Amino acid sequence: MTDTVTLAAHPEDAASARKTGFFRALLSSPTGIIGLAIVGLLLIVALAAPLLAPHDPLRMAAGPRLQPPSWQHWMGTDDFGRDVLSRIIYGAQLTLQIGAIAVGISLTSGLFLGLVAGYASGWAEKVLMRLVDVLFSFTEIVIALACLAIFGVGLTNAMIAIGIASIPFYARVTHSVVLVEKNKPYFEAAVAAGAGHGRLIFRHLLPNVVPTLIVVGTLGVSTAVLAAAGLSFLGLGAQPPQPEWGFMLSSSRDLISRAPWMMIFPGLAIAFTVLGFNLLGDGVREALDPRQRQR
Amino acid sequence: MARFIAQRLLAALVTIWIATIAVTLLIHLVPGDPVRIMYGSFQTTPEQLEEIRQRLGLDQPIWKQYLYYLGRLAQGDLGRSIVGDQPVADILLTRFPATLALTLTSLVIAVVVGMSLGFLAAYKRGTWVDAGAMVLAVIGVSMPHFWLGLLLLFLFALQLGWLPVAGGDWKSLILPALTLGLANAAVLARMTRSAMIDIFDQDFVRTARAKGLPRAVVLYRHALRSGLVPIVSMLGLQFAYLMGGAIVVENVFAWNGVGRLAIQAVFARDYPLIQGFILFFATVVALASVIVDVAYAFLDPRIRYS
Repeated sequence: MTDTVTLAAHPEDAASARKTGFFRALLSSPTGIIGLAIVGLLLIVALAAPLLAPHDPLRMAAGPRLQPPSWQHWMGTDDFGRDVLSRIIYGAQLTLQIGAIAVGISLTSGLFLGLVAGYASGWAEKVLMRLVDVLFSFTEIVIALACLAIFGVGLTNAMIAIGIASIPFYARVTHSVVLVEKNKPYFEAAVAAGAGHGRLIFRHLLPNVVPTLIVVGTLGVSTAVLAAAGLSFLGLGAQPPQPEWGFMLSSSRDLISRAPWMMIFPGLAIAFTVLGFNLLGDGVREALDPRQRQR
Repeated sequence: MARFIAQRLLAALVTIWIATIAVTLLIHLVPGDPVRIMYGSFQTTPEQLEEIRQRLGLDQPIWKQYLYYLGRLAQGDLGRSIVGDQPVADILLTRFPATLALTLTSLVIAVVVGMSLGFLAAYKRGTWVDAGAMVLAVIGVSMPHFWLGLLLLFLFALQLGWLPVAGGDWKSLILPALTLGLANAAVLARMTRSAMIDIFDQDFVRTARAKGLPRAVVLYRHALRSGLVPIVSMLGLQFAYLMGGAIVVENVFAWNGVGRLAIQAVFARDYPLIQGFILFFATVVALASVIVDVAYAFLDPRIRYS
């Protein structure tokens, strides 16, 4: 704590002062704190899954079949006698992996396309953005379905499909930020000073796009997790015996009246995760843009 | 106005045209031999596979295939499905009314619930009503559609026995429409709230209040009417989201629309049906956005004349 104070006191270290200011702002809003806590908890659960899970998530007949929640099985057992709690704990690993891979694909590709289109201007921009708009109107789920029709079903393919499906969205966001930044005096000054393309894009535009993309990317994890759970629910993503939450929900559908716990807990896990990333994203946005905080 | 409509229609045509290209390319992006993948589960000889390849035109260069595809499309021919060997256009048209009924009913639910919640939250801004409505909206945004569907199914169909689990009549439409509608109401509530807060801060609303107009008149005639404009512009996108969401929800409730068909087609690797579905979906969404844009221009003259 003393470190951050001394750092902030030195004007030459303005960057890290801004950083501590950001974290302070993030931690001063209830949204940010709750979001950070949920995401932190998920990370811990995913990393420490082997230590935390009371049973093997894949071992059948860890207990009797379709047993309601009890002291041995806090969330009951499924139709194969597997421990639901252990499956949910291991499922956190898959879910965070889905979020990271899908957002990684869409964020980097969308950033690239948006930067190129926004910087290029002229007909290249027009054609590129028109194409992005058209793809955007197809909706993510239809693009994801098309990708799965090409690659075939499976969880890895579903992650890639969701990543590809969201590229138009990230491209649009990047493009709109670039358009604003390009008209600011600092950018015009850099152009007038004769900065090259690379310098203009990477030193001037990119750093100003990043804050927005951090917010959008955090919120995007929620969308990706929801989409992947949806595809797995439809049977197009995770395959048995993977402990994926959406897939667990699809196997609960026919047992819903006999074993409602099989439906309730995986759904809660998804909603909790999505809520966490939504709140964290909102918190980061508020911390980065103080004007929003007054709302 | 006619010029505006023509412009919007042209944009929709460009969308549909790009969709035709995407759909033609789709089958060529499949790793391996699409014919073999499609007919993998059938007993076929190499001669039969060759014959199918010729019939689908897959032995021709891509540009020829594309022109051939456009030519057939102009006659309303989307090819024949692999499973069941029926005209794709017929299957889609028989299934579409169910999806349209689901999407429109849930749009009404989303608009009524979402907008009243958002309006109320904006009007009671800063109070516990606002906080409660927004907490509800955040929870709604975070819930997977299909989980909400399963919960409603469990509660209303299995525990209380008020509504059927599945079927095809209007009663079995209630649960899927409620699922899709409530899930999207959350998004609309947040948008409505922020749009209405902007309006409440505007000078003309303050003036209307200051000159002593009754509160209801200010709310209805001044605030609500101008607040509606930006929200209507979002309805085209909402419609697209609902159509996409219907794909999942139809599968929860075994509702026999095009969404359920699409998933079956992906499983069966029925490429003509998948291609037809994507093109059909893109066309419906594009036409819906034209309708919304025209309605928007009708509400806000600034759009028409700019």
